[in-house]
Amino acid sequence: MMRCMALVCAAVGLVPVSPHMVAGAPGWQLRMQQQSSDTTYGCLICHAEKRRTFTIGIHSEHGIRCHNCHGGDPASFERGTAHGGRFLGDPDKLETVQLCSSCHADADQMRQYGLPAGQLAEFRTSRHGQLLLERSDQNAPTCTDCHDAHTILPPEDARSNVHPTNIPATCARCHDNAEMMDEYGIPINQFAQYRESEHGKGIFERANFAAPTCTSCHGSHAALPPGVTEIVNVCEKCHVLVGREFRRGPHDRATRDDALPGCLGCHSNHGTEGVPPDGIAALCTNCHEPDSRAQMVGVELQEGVIRSLQGLAASQQAIEEMAAAGHQVADERFRYQTALTSYREMAQVHHSLDMELLEDLGRQVRSDTELIRATAEAAAERRWERKLILLPVWFLTLSAVTFAWFKLRELEG
Amino acid sequence: MIKKWLIQFWGDLRTSADAGLLGVARFVGLLYGPIDRNLRIDEAWRKALRYRLAEHVGWRHALGGITYVLLMVLVVTGVLLAFYYRPSVEEAYPSIQHIVSEVSFGWLIRDLHVWCANLIVVVALAHMARVFFEAAYKPPREMNWIVGLALLAVVLAFGATGYLLPWDQWAYWTVTEVLDAIALIPLFGGLLADAIRGDVIASGATLSRFFALHVIVLPWITLALVSYHFTLIRRRGLAPPMTAADEGGRKWRVSGMWVDEEPTGGRPFFPNHLLRSFAVAVLTLAVAVTLAILFPRQVGEPANPYLVPDELVSTWVPVDVSLALIRFTGTWGLALFSLLGVGLILLPVFDRRPERGLRQRPVAVALGAVFFVGFLAAWLAGQQIRSVPPTARPQPDVVGAGQVQEVPLPDLGPTPPIPNPEDVGREP
Repeated sequence: MMRCMALVCAAVGLVPVSPHMVAGAPGWQLRMQQQSSDTTYGCLICHAEKRRTFTIGIHSEHGIRCHNCHGGDPASFERGTAHGGRFLGDPDKLETVQLCSSCHADADQMRQYGLPAGQLAEFRTSRHGQLLLERSDQNAPTCTDCHDAHTILPPEDARSNVHPTNIPATCARCHDNAEMMDEYGIPINQFAQYRESEHGKGIFERANFAAPTCTSCHGSHAALPPGVTEIVNVCEKCHVLVGREFRRGPHDRATRDDALPGCLGCHSNHGTEGVPPDGIAALCTNCHEPDSRAQMVGVELQEGVIRSLQGLAASQQAIEEMAAAGHQVADERFRYQTALTSYREMAQVHHSLDMELLEDLGRQVRSDTELIRATAEAAAERRWERKLILLPVWFLTLSAVTFAWFKLRELEG
Repeated sequence: MIKKWLIQFWGDLRTSADAGLLGVARFVGLLYGPIDRNLRIDEAWRKALRYRLAEHVGWRHALGGITYVLLMVLVVTGVLLAFYYRPSVEEAYPSIQHIVSEVSFGWLIRDLHVWCANLIVVVALAHMARVFFEAAYKPPREMNWIVGLALLAVVLAFGATGYLLPWDQWAYWTVTEVLDAIALIPLFGGLLADAIRGDVIASGATLSRFFALHVIVLPWITLALVSYHFTLIRRRGLAPPMTAADEGGRKWRVSGMWVDEEPTGGRPFFPNHLLRSFAVAVLTLAVAVTLAILFPRQVGEPANPYLVPDELVSTWVPVDVSLALIRFTGTWGLALFSLLGVGLILLPVFDRRPERGLRQRPVAVALGAVFFVGFLAAWLAGQQIRSVPPTARPQPDVVGAGQVQEVPLPDLGPTPPIPNPEDVGREP
């Protein structure tokens, strides 16, 4: 009875659990036994605060303990013997890479967790790895700078430093540091630009984890800025159709000839600004002479885009008005989607400058949107005609009231 | 036997024709002759038409009649809407679209229903204010005051249950907001909200319940209450003018349907008062039709439980009033105002003195004026307040430059104690 009470108290956290208490209760959960075994683990006597940070990490989940990385003797309660043998208390950056690689570069060990074992090889190719491994640059990050030393969480965990929503801030810890970046001549405005970009808005505002973060373009362990001729390949990983059109067009040849920095000729890298519809023609003058034949193509593109956008906006408003008035607008919405698909296809075909195809697509957008507007105008006209009912209604009403008035006067004098 | 029946029939016909003052009554008399002999319905018709009202009964007494006309319009348009409306989550919204866009004059029927539902609240309150300030709630008519208030509550319940039926975003989230507010009432609020909702969120179960209440339960309650309201008007009579002493209603009380003695003074109900009511009813109908045509209720986006609208404009009277009171006077203001409303309901219980002039009962008149004017002002103000539904929660800030997110650490309790010496050496 007393033991039961003690166990209940232990369960609600009133008293600490001892191994003696759980020995007679085989049904107790494994976690409780795990906690009890902590009491015999020597590292925790002095480093109790590390226990809290370590136990929420993925390594703790898989039974890896302090001595697996730091060595020493966890059964010892004397500082001297506990820190004896092959003990590595506070590894430096290089030692950290070696320590992590001892498991993470071993394909045999990583296979069971379905993890790649090539991080070290990738790290060697990265700018970070080159600085640390070849020059022993202490500014270069090591594994724990991004993954944390003790609270190591998988990328799927929202608390992890390498979760998609946290990656930009993790990189910004160094790349927003003006003093550190000065040494390497790297600007520090990438994070600010990224936050304002469509990619950043996808991550931060729309929680779209498919939106690219720093590592999507630069790589994670093999982090390096892509070369000029590689940029199209990098962007094409996501923008497949745009990439296909770009390769059909004249700008691809210019990129191959190093005359154009690929996608960055019109868009920026971290800001990834889309070209505004009314800025297409002006953008062409960055490379082409004003009023040249090439710039005239830009003017033509701009006019087509603006006309299509105006049509889409007007038809969307027309659909909203019809829906608010109670009309069934499923057909109109479908037609609007068709027009929108054509418009998006136009945005892709712009990259190939195939003017014939663009004219066809523009005609499709205009045809669909004008049909929607015509339907809406007819519906609005029918709604206006309803107001004519008020004429007979008020004629009859006023006649009836006048009759009642005169009759009452006659009756009551 | 046949000859006897024929003679009876001819006699009934003659009696009806002689006595009937209306063509309709004559025609009906042909049908219910045998019943009439026992129940004296024909005589009651004649008495009803000979019924005389006091001299002071005028235009302001038509307010109750207008309320009744609006109720009848709501019944007729409601039945027509029910022919086409389908009360299920999948079909409710498309059926409204069908009514509005494809059924002949469906748009007019629906908007007339919506506008009459709003107008009936305004007219009922005006009728109530007339009764209050003329002290018509005093004995012996106190029961009719209570019945009238019950009718007002039923009208508001009609509005609340009818609101969800279009099943658009506007309707869905307003009802969610109201149910959340009900759940905040101490003790029984949560239970009541769950019972009305029938699910963890407003869903098909809620729609079915609201539809059943709107077209089955509430109409029967209304029929019973309206019948009793009218019966009490006939049996107690209308209140005399405020300047005249109330004779206890004795003279008017005996003018019920089954008493032979009829008053001879005053103004005849038919055709004088009926003409007044007719003129006002026709005007009311014309106003309702005009509002329905010029300001149709829009059909919003279909209800989506996963998408909380950014803003929600409530158009249900009690929500408007509560919002305005909370905004301008705080929750205490709402509580005091509600207390004032309850006080007015129970007024006939406390205020039983015979004085009926406005100056003779300053406290009651002042409280009533505060309530009615306050209600009207709060309603108008409430319509201007845009309310955000309580389910909308503020979004967390985006992580900014240099603001690296801290990893939250769970509290794992106190650190383990130093172990017993005998445990030393065990494998961790």
